[in-house]
Amino acid sequence: MSSSNLYITQDTELSDIVRAYPGSMLFLEHFDIHVPFQTKTVDKICSEHNISSDLFIAFANLYLGKDSYQIPKLRFSDLPAIIRYLHNNHKYYLDEIYPKIQQCIKLIMGLNDLDESKLVEKFFQDYFNEVREHLNYENSVVFPFVTGLYDVFINKIPYRQRNAYSVSEYKDHHSDIEEKLDDLMSLLIKYLPHKNDQQARRELFHLLVELDYDLKVHARIEDLILVPLVEKLEKQLNAKP
Amino acid sequence: MPLHIRQAGNIDDAEKFICAKPESLVIVNPAIIQHNVKSFQSLKNNWDKAHWMALVYLHYDQQVLGLFDGIISISDSPGTIISTIKKVLSSKHSQNTYISEDILSEREVEVLQLLAVGLSNKEIADKLSISINTVITHRKNISQKTGIKTVSGLTIYAVVNKYITLESVKPMV
Repeated sequence: MSSSNLYITQDTELSDIVRAYPGSMLFLEHFDIHVPFQTKTVDKICSEHNISSDLFIAFANLYLGKDSYQIPKLRFSDLPAIIRYLHNNHKYYLDEIYPKIQQCIKLIMGLNDLDESKLVEKFFQDYFNEVREHLNYENSVVFPFVTGLYDVFINKIPYRQRNAYSVSEYKDHHSDIEEKLDDLMSLLIKYLPHKNDQQARRELFHLLVELDYDLKVHARIEDLILVPLVEKLEKQLNAKP
Repeated sequence: MPLHIRQAGNIDDAEKFICAKPESLVIVNPAIIQHNVKSFQSLKNNWDKAHWMALVYLHYDQQVLGLFDGIISISDSPGTIISTIKKVLSSKHSQNTYISEDILSEREVEVLQLLAVGLSNKEIADKLSISINTVITHRKNISQKTGIKTVSGLTIYAVVNKYITLESVKPMV
């Protein structure tokens, strides 16, 4: 996505970001930021939405694939906004993009009375179930854990639950989800016989590309930002007498 | 429909029979065409309503086997033979002109077939009398060549390319 060279600072206008990187519209939605942006800058929109501009810029650069970008040191106070982002991101997966892909596959396979049609639908269904399980696990275990930890920190509650659960446990949960999506993409563009349904296939292809991109960023946000920050918080709380 | 079975010793004789019945199912010993690929190709072009199958009992080049609509192996069970023939008879002239690329070696196809019907690495190793490590190497190569990593993805690949029939996967669906 880094086709543009726009350098994002606190003073960059949101409308400029979206024009330079059309894909960032989705990213902003994950932060509950919607059009119209008027002439608001990053700083302005961040203060309206309780996001630190450091966090916003860090996420934006990750999302736009600016690999050279150094992730700044984020603060524990960024955790609520991170969790909010990830929650919204999950909602987009579960309520929007996966159902759309499912519909598209149904449509294509309905047009094709082929042996493999049922297998492809089953493949997707199994994959979707697996994703749902993973996201539900994060929603019901990981995020409440992080929020609870942050509560302890902010309200100075004595921290007792040492070693009960650690955020480190859920690293590397993502590889399988990406592998299956990648297979689906390969099957679609390399092998599945085509039958007068090019339009639906193109649509499916774009949906898969969009999902793939978002999932990769999602995983990087969790692995590079969320997990290290929470590990640091855990360490600090555990160190206290 | 009455069934007429004819046997021909060479390509010319076979053509006479096909001339009488253009929609024949022709089962060929690939040894006959191995060194006559060109005349076999023109025969196929001339009689495009016929269905061409190979009966394989030795190793043949994929290039030769790729000329056929379907392949029967001497070691196939009667059920497999029937379903292969049915497949060939029904697939011809359909709108789906998907032509397999033959990117996998014969051994890799064997591993893929067993993998796709649900066998474990250990079971595949036993069945083909090779080591588990060899099976793993074959699997790596299959994934690298096809670009598909998961077993369920490879199963779909195997069905699309007609390495296995849907029926053999059915218990899992």
